[in-house]
Amino acid sequence: MDLDNVTAILAEVGSTGKDTIEYNITRFAQILRHLGVRVSLAETMDALGALSKADLLSRDQVRGVLRACLAKSRKEAGIFEEAFNLFFVTPEEKLARQTNRREMQTERRRIINEAQQEIMEAVSEWQQDEPDKTILTESQLETFSLLPEEEKERMKEILEKMKSNPVNNPGELINRVLQSSLNYWRYHMMKNAEMEKNAGLPDARLTGDEEMDEVIQSVAAHFYHNPGDRIMHRDMESLEDGDISRMTSLINYISAQLALGMSRRYKKSSRAVSVDIRRTLRRNMRYGGIPINLSYRSKRKKRPRFLLICDVSASMARYARFIMQFMYGLGSALGGIESFIFSEDLERITDYFNRKKDFTQSMARIINDSRQWGKSTNLYVSLATFNSRYRKLLSPETVVFIVSDAKTISPERAAKLLEDIKLRCGHIVWLNTLPAREWAGHPPIKIFKKVVDMYECNTLSQLERTLRRQVMRNI
Amino acid sequence: MMNTGLRDLKNAMERQGYICGDDLAVTVYLALTLKKPLLVEGAPGVGKTEIAKVLGRVFETEVIRLQCYEGLDENKALYEWNYQRQLLKIQIMKDKCRQEDMEKDLFDEEYLLKRPLLKAIRSDKRVVLLIDEVDKVDEPFEAFLFELLSDFQVSIPELGTLSARHIPIVVLTSNGDRELSDGLKRRCVYLYIDYPDIEKEVKILQTKVPEAGERLNREVAAAVNYLRSNLDLRKQPSISESLDWARALLALNADGLTIENISATTNLLMKNREDSLQLLDPGVLRDIVKHVTNPS
Repeated sequence: MDLDNVTAILAEVGSTGKDTIEYNITRFAQILRHLGVRVSLAETMDALGALSKADLLSRDQVRGVLRACLAKSRKEAGIFEEAFNLFFVTPEEKLARQTNRREMQTERRRIINEAQQEIMEAVSEWQQDEPDKTILTESQLETFSLLPEEEKERMKEILEKMKSNPVNNPGELINRVLQSSLNYWRYHMMKNAEMEKNAGLPDARLTGDEEMDEVIQSVAAHFYHNPGDRIMHRDMESLEDGDISRMTSLINYISAQLALGMSRRYKKSSRAVSVDIRRTLRRNMRYGGIPINLSYRSKRKKRPRFLLICDVSASMARYARFIMQFMYGLGSALGGIESFIFSEDLERITDYFNRKKDFTQSMARIINDSRQWGKSTNLYVSLATFNSRYRKLLSPETVVFIVSDAKTISPERAAKLLEDIKLRCGHIVWLNTLPAREWAGHPPIKIFKKVVDMYECNTLSQLERTLRRQVMRNI
Repeated sequence: MMNTGLRDLKNAMERQGYICGDDLAVTVYLALTLKKPLLVEGAPGVGKTEIAKVLGRVFETEVIRLQCYEGLDENKALYEWNYQRQLLKIQIMKDKCRQEDMEKDLFDEEYLLKRPLLKAIRSDKRVVLLIDEVDKVDEPFEAFLFELLSDFQVSIPELGTLSARHIPIVVLTSNGDRELSDGLKRRCVYLYIDYPDIEKEVKILQTKVPEAGERLNREVAAAVNYLRSNLDLRKQPSISESLDWARALLALNADGLTIENISATTNLLMKNREDSLQLLDPGVLRDIVKHVTNPS
């Protein structure tokens, strides 16, 4: 049964009114869940139990008790703090917020009405016979109201100019021009809004309950105060130029940490798996053959070798730079990484990174020398080149990383080549920069997913998580 | 009620030299009263392990430590049969007793080597069990651990089920090297320890290195706070490093921070070359001295 439903039922059953502690705590837990914090029913019950030990008149104690039971990581503790401050407020503050929300709705209505009036005035002269001809949707009217003043004027001017053109059905024409122009603007506004939204908390989902959604939206929008955290969770493509140096130092730091963990892992590679009979007998000769001290046969764990195939076509160029820098950082633990770039064809770039140069200098040389940067994508041709020239680089210890948004021609044929590669290497990991929610709309992704493990990877946080959890587990 | 118990606990911890805020005290108190494990996360050197040691002193009980590492298994964490001793017994008793009796004798508790987890739950007194750096263990062991921490009993095939005589005070620490499983997190009360603010760090320094004097301690706390928030360091200086730094400055007879004595003691604060170079930048040194002498 869906956890939210259980919570909702519990809240209903356990409360005689909406002012009970149980009701509020279960609602609060639901808000946290919708903000991406994993709160189980057991934890909610723990929190309720723990509150019985707290002084309910002390806000700090209640906060401390709930945080200890409901938030289980640093990030979750941060989300908890924001949500707690917004949810547990005095009835007066709650009322004030509700009033404010209603006023905003009324204001929105007024603006939309004004926009409608303004448009009707502009076209009224034409449509005296059919005043209802210009029917715009609420969202189109809202878009008009949000346009900068000069754009509104420009749109009206265009309408004015059209008056001098004798056409058969002017009402219809005007309607079409208006609608398509407003739809265009709406698309751009939404795209910017989407980027803004991505800068906030990516896991947030709304509940449909006005009061809870207000808390969720507010926490989601303002969560990443720390510039480092914001960059970690932002789409790498939408980073501003000012963020690049911060991003670079974050990548250096995280990849160094991960490399350290990996090198530790391979130092402690000897694990006792079975008794070594020959050694045990030799070692225990002095005890008359009684096996007092056992010797174990240890299995050597081989160090994995990474091979990177990175898409540098127009849509991928920016991601490629950051991801390559990350992998370059890991190279210190793995003794160099075989690296390739591709768009229309494949090029080997390993040597650029082996020259012990600074990453930025190496990168600048690659961009200058390469013929692939910023072209269109043909994974099939690129993999065919790989298979014919570089197949010998593959071994069962090789983990192949493919970084691409999978927007390629001939995906079926490329997938077949990937299958060949898969047979020769240990594992293929595909880091896809396209948001996972959009995967369903891209048929090539479905084809590739049958062959490789694919992970969403357009933020630094996702890149780190994927490499740490999925890759280290698999190797 | 919580207020009394909480105040007592906080005072007791302070008496043992652990300066903490209300947030930390509430969480520790809750773990103790709900008899749940306390999971402490935070950067290295902020005092995670110290909590267990302090609790041991507060409750005048033993601290049993299980240091985690990759490859740690049940044999090293829970119990192991004393195989060598069993073999010797077989040799000695070979002709002296019946086989069934010998078998019964061989798998007695006296041949059981109790490792930290078993030792903690079979203790005659409630002890503190410190499971240090739990993020270093493999996932299967983590799963075993959270089963143990929920039931506090162990099944040994030859002996049957051994239950806890007293449920220990469990403190788990993690540096966040790996994300812990939801199952383990769900069974614990969670505490994240961040770097302290200046006032709290001054208080810690005054408690641990009182001979440095308030002026030097205040300047050390302000400088470390400045470094943490203004430099892009690979490893930020922790509380233990502030304490070492204050002691080192004291050894150099310093009564306040100067460009010279900061330069001379850089390696106490910075633990890699890049960070040291950043700190030794003349502009940074000047800014630190200016900041600590004129905090406003």
